Amino acid sequence: MTNWEPVLLANVNRPNSEKIDTYLRYGGYEALRKALKMTPDQVTAEVKTSEIRGRGGAGFPAGVKWGFMPKDAPVKYLAINTDEGEPGTFKDRLIVERDPHSILEGVIIASYAIGAHRAFVYIRGEFFLGVKRWIKAISDAYQKGFLGKNILGSGFDLDVSVHRGAGAYICGEETAMLESLEGKRGVPRTKPPFPAQKGFWGKPTLVQNCETLANIPHIILRGGKWYSSIGTEKSKGMKIFCISGHVNSPGNFELPLGTPLKEIIYEHAGGVRKGRDIKAIIPGGSSTPFLTAEKINTPMGFETLQAAGSALGTGAIIVMDETTDMVEVVRRITRFYVHESCGYCFPCRIGGQRMLSSLERLAGGKGSKQDIEDLEYVAKGIYGRTFCPMGTGMAEPVLSGLRLFRPEFEMKTAKN
Amino acid sequence: MPNLIIDDLPIEVPAGTKVIEAAEQLGIIIPRFCYHKALGSVGACRMCAVKFLQGPFKGVQMSCLIDAQDGMVVSTTDEEAVAFRKFIIELLMLNHPHDCPVCDEGGQCLLQDMTVAGGHSLRRYLGRKRTYRDQNLGVFIAHEMNRCIHCYRCSRFYQEFAGYRDLGPTQIANRVYFGRFEDGQLESPFSGNLVDLCPTGVYTDKPARFQGRRWDFERLPSLCIHCSLGCNTIANARYRAVVRVEARFNDAVNGFFICDRGRFGFPYTNQPERPRQARIDGNESSLEDAVAGAGRKLADIAHRAGPNAIACLGSRRSSLETQGLLNHLCQLMQWAEPDYFLDPLLKKKVKSAISQLDSRVAVSLRQVETADFILAVGVDPLGEAPMLALAMRQAQRKEATVAVIDPRPVPLPFSFEHLAVPTWEMNGCLKLLMEEAMRKEDEKSAARDRMAAEEGWLRNNPASAEIRRQIAQLAALFQASRNPVLICGTDIVPEATPAVVGAWARSLLEEKGKCGLFYVLPDANAFGAGLLGAANDHAFLETVGAIERGEVRALIAVESDPFERFPDRSRLEQALAKLELLLVLDYVPSPMVQQAHIFLPTSTLFETGSTFINQEGRIQIAQPVYHGGTPLSQMNGGGHPPRVYAGGLPGGEPKPAWQLLIDLAGALSLAIETGAVENPLSLVASAHPLLAGLKNTSSLLDGVRCLPDVADAEPVPADMDPAVGPGTENELQLLFVDSIFGAEELSQYADVIRQVEGEPCLYMHTQDAERLGLVEGDRVLLTLDAGAIEARVCPSQSMAPGTLVLPRRRKLEWQKAKSFSTRVTPDRIEKLK
Amino acid sequence: MNTKKEFKSPVGGAIVDPAKQSMMLAALYIAQEQNGYLTKEAVQQVAKRLGMTPGDVYSTASFYSLFRMKPVGRYVIQVCEGISCYLNDGAERVADYVSEKLGIKLGETTRDGMFTLETVQCLASCGTAPAMRVNDQLYENLSPAIIDDILERLMGEV
Repeated sequence: MTNWEPVLLANVNRPNSEKIDTYLRYGGYEALRKALKMTPDQVTAEVKTSEIRGRGGAGFPAGVKWGFMPKDAPVKYLAINTDEGEPGTFKDRLIVERDPHSILEGVIIASYAIGAHRAFVYIRGEFFLGVKRWIKAISDAYQKGFLGKNILGSGFDLDVSVHRGAGAYICGEETAMLESLEGKRGVPRTKPPFPAQKGFWGKPTLVQNCETLANIPHIILRGGKWYSSIGTEKSKGMKIFCISGHVNSPGNFELPLGTPLKEIIYEHAGGVRKGRDIKAIIPGGSSTPFLTAEKINTPMGFETLQAAGSALGTGAIIVMDETTDMVEVVRRITRFYVHESCGYCFPCRIGGQRMLSSLERLAGGKGSKQDIEDLEYVAKGIYGRTFCPMGTGMAEPVLSGLRLFRPEFEMKTAKN
Repeated sequence: MPNLIIDDLPIEVPAGTKVIEAAEQLGIIIPRFCYHKALGSVGACRMCAVKFLQGPFKGVQMSCLIDAQDGMVVSTTDEEAVAFRKFIIELLMLNHPHDCPVCDEGGQCLLQDMTVAGGHSLRRYLGRKRTYRDQNLGVFIAHEMNRCIHCYRCSRFYQEFAGYRDLGPTQIANRVYFGRFEDGQLESPFSGNLVDLCPTGVYTDKPARFQGRRWDFERLPSLCIHCSLGCNTIANARYRAVVRVEARFNDAVNGFFICDRGRFGFPYTNQPERPRQARIDGNESSLEDAVAGAGRKLADIAHRAGPNAIACLGSRRSSLETQGLLNHLCQLMQWAEPDYFLDPLLKKKVKSAISQLDSRVAVSLRQVETADFILAVGVDPLGEAPMLALAMRQAQRKEATVAVIDPRPVPLPFSFEHLAVPTWEMNGCLKLLMEEAMRKEDEKSAARDRMAAEEGWLRNNPASAEIRRQIAQLAALFQASRNPVLICGTDIVPEATPAVVGAWARSLLEEKGKCGLFYVLPDANAFGAGLLGAANDHAFLETVGAIERGEVRALIAVESDPFERFPDRSRLEQALAKLELLLVLDYVPSPMVQQAHIFLPTSTLFETGSTFINQEGRIQIAQPVYHGGTPLSQMNGGGHPPRVYAGGLPGGEPKPAWQLLIDLAGALSLAIETGAVENPLSLVASAHPLLAGLKNTSSLLDGVRCLPDVADAEPVPADMDPAVGPGTENELQLLFVDSIFGAEELSQYADVIRQVEGEPCLYMHTQDAERLGLVEGDRVLLTLDAGAIEARVCPSQSMAPGTLVLPRRRKLEWQKAKSFSTRVTPDRIEKLK
Repeated sequence: MNTKKEFKSPVGGAIVDPAKQSMMLAALYIAQEQNGYLTKEAVQQVAKRLGMTPGDVYSTASFYSLFRMKPVGRYVIQVCEGISCYLNDGAERVADYVSEKLGIKLGETTRDGMFTLETVQCLASCGTAPAMRVNDQLYENLSPAIIDDILERLMGEV
């Protein structure tokens, strides 16, 4: 087992880790001082050099996204996505609750780089402690002069405010999040225009996941080259992997991208409970396709997981042992997406209803072969044809479940 | 301009055209639910999936979301795309109830069509359908949410297109519901369009509910005559009654939509009270006898007292045929030319407005939507021409600046700049804005100083500083505009305003190369009345005087009810009582019909089909939708089958008014040109040079404009000051105005319209209300010259101080005012306990 | 320029101020505090404060699961039914346990108005599953003993 010195999670286990004094004691806000002495373009260039990709699930290169922000627009915004809701994922909650200043520092640097003077934190409504931690962190940062007018004498102004979501998974989608920030129903917008062209209140807006932003101070302090030296060819830097399910020590582990799945499960998470075999692994949150134990050597990177037939997603690994009822797992995941569909486009809204109906019959032992056929037909119909990526995320577990565990589904229909 | 190939057919379309639109231009209608030309694309239904074979996009994509681009090769019939569309249809039928046999949408239902077209017939889904509770949305619209497929057309129209916010999506996931916060009447006066827009039967026409199916109806193109815009409609009749009215697309007038007054205002043609039988001195008679009797009496009066003892009152809601025949009859008989206006001032304004229009400046309602600057003077669009408000909103949504100079609390469903000045200051305000906007940059400050020094017309307006600021800002925007449109009302404006606006439009046209001019006229055929009305200033007001003096002894009122608009009811009653003959031709049970010595029933637009000229000068034709007669539901106690044994059409006596006028001429031993009987328009065509084109009636269905190339415009009167100036310090000007429901003549006969018209309000500026010790909701007794009326007080900050506004509601008896415009002193307003 | 006008006329649309509208969710949280759910009056109040229609407010509020339109108990117990809680013997098992203990089914409120029992989607406590929330407090690594403890403490608070 390689023991990596944690970067993002360096602070979280310290006493009073959420306090600004703790953060400052361990070198906090040094990156900000450095960044403010650079030009905004230099900051963006450093982020581009780091090749960091967004940690919210889609994996879009952050530096490129920053580069999309128009230079001449007088009003620009930064929106911070803390709407962590993908089942299996619990990394953002950890950083927000234990080390909010690391994100905030990234927020200030990113705002400086893109020329935004207002930033909005959008946090999941259920994260009550997180809301409190954000508010406290922001107010302390104001007090110390890291926020407000003329930050650290640089002439750069920034105001940050916290906005609490209210229990809608879809608001994690960036345009839905902007709608929600505007006080509307969280229904995704048509793209184009992308948020970088027309975002919050119609102004260019950079939307970034909070784990991504927490990386920024380190990239600035140690340089983009350092960052890009970690990881695989197309997956750079450190990543927080959330591991849960049938493992002995579930939790968050910060490791370089490209760490093999096997190492994470068996070395960091203490292996499978009761020494059982693995039946299935979800490698990147519940919307990514299942992997079987055969793929256990896959490195956890964007391109490597894709080659293995799944995706990195949020880096949330859910391990299921040999006793797991996969039909029930698929039903449960589908129920989540049906429950959380925004109700906008037809295939997701009604297709989900239809899949769930079949899955409920199957899981309850009342299904038939027709239900399996239906399930496959509907999932294929939804796949890639919905208004936002959520529909595809809904179809993935069903399709991969059927692909890998079809006999289990068929077993359930044996009686009928 | 991108070139692309759709189903092997090449087409070139303007940049920014969506693929679904490009296909439509080729005659390929790609299936859709959420996409609508007027509402744009949102990509919700995924029904318009097509396959992109070559070009920048590949595979199955939504044709409503993708702009046509060079090199695209698109297949709408590709197997994969068709299979996906079938998939969507099957999903829609998961929850949709199988209530087509009792659904009013059946037969005109997009979902039904698509389900059949998609070949879906076997139900595979075994789960439960999701169901909803419906809401009561008021008198116009029935709600049946179980049928909803969630295309969001309703909320997009209601909120985005029309600007009202009491109906929209609620809930999430597959519980999404379209409705209101609470049950209740929809606030939008355009709510009826939901019926046309909904691709299934969620919103259906409530008054027409269960009255018949699409294929049961006699359906033909018709026109709306509830204001001067001339929106195009389709009327549906069944069992001798008009059942419902729908919007008919016209790219130059109303687009896809109509207002609720136009949609639900038709029942005057069906009402049981409608007079269908000719009467002589209150006794029913045959139409022939009544015409003959009228002829004898008229001949007798003319013989005894000369042709000038006979006066005619035409109507602005009559068809062009009827107006033309009435004019022709008067000419033949050497009677005075007919009056179409009660008030000489209104006549002058309408004639002046019409004279300003020519084909260079006149713009259609749809062209208003393309303006980048709209200045509306003396017009309350929602009250006087509701669809104009929607057109202005579309311009404003594309970031046009909209400014309104009007003393009323003009309600518009979008943000605009309101210059709330009293009527006597409107011309001055307009002039200032004009001068400021036309002025070169370097002259501006000097002019502003002069303006400040002069004070002049602004002296009475406490908000003058604010208005001056508004004018300066607007002028700058005006100057920068490239496609301004000037809109001018004719109701409350001073005499000179239409000419001032017209002159300005022409000079802007010279300066900018583009400027639109748009008048709102009183009533559906005011344009015809203005063209055909006598060139002099004579109006019915003077006829009343002549009757009182005994000079006029017979009055022929053709489809005209002066009781609606004549401001002195008792005077009118007394005058009419002096007549030897009151001959009334009409199709509504107006007070005139009650008082008539001889009454001749006429047929309505729906029965006759007729020609109208809208306020733009567009001649349009309505077709006869049904043959008339008493509705079956009113015969034999509504029983079925109706057992009436008769040879003719029961209740079918009414004839077109122009036909009766020809008959009357016959009774007066005069021969009308024989061609007129077959084609009354041929007579009208020779009545005015602009109408010469009427001889060719084949092109009228789409509408043709009867405008000169260059207007022979009436000049701006030398004295621009209006007759009603500022009064003494304390006095308030009382304006009688139109309102969307309850003040328009024909629609008031509809039950549903009366139910939504609400309580009449007396609007006054908050300042004035404070001065009078009144607050919102107080009831007051307003003493007018001929009695007092009761109304509720509605204080408003967005109106001119010193002005009282009262809608001309029939139930208000505002005719106690005795004059067309009046001033009242505060002591005439008494607060009721 | 286009200054905003508010329409008092019975036939006018309201014009929304985006700055006020963006306060919607925050306002709804405050409005919900008093009764634990959004009363009709609360929705109207929010609409008035934000210069919008009650329909606008309801449209948004009903989209979000944390805003309630119906009365709930003093403590709302939300049991996570996410995949990781399920794999860790949580989800239904926790819900059933609480349900039995309180004598109410899912979606119901105890007669004394103390507890409402619901399930909720993933609470991002997968590493510390099973989890549940009581009002805004998160409880993790649940076991029957811990649940007993929590419920007893809450009952004792009255």
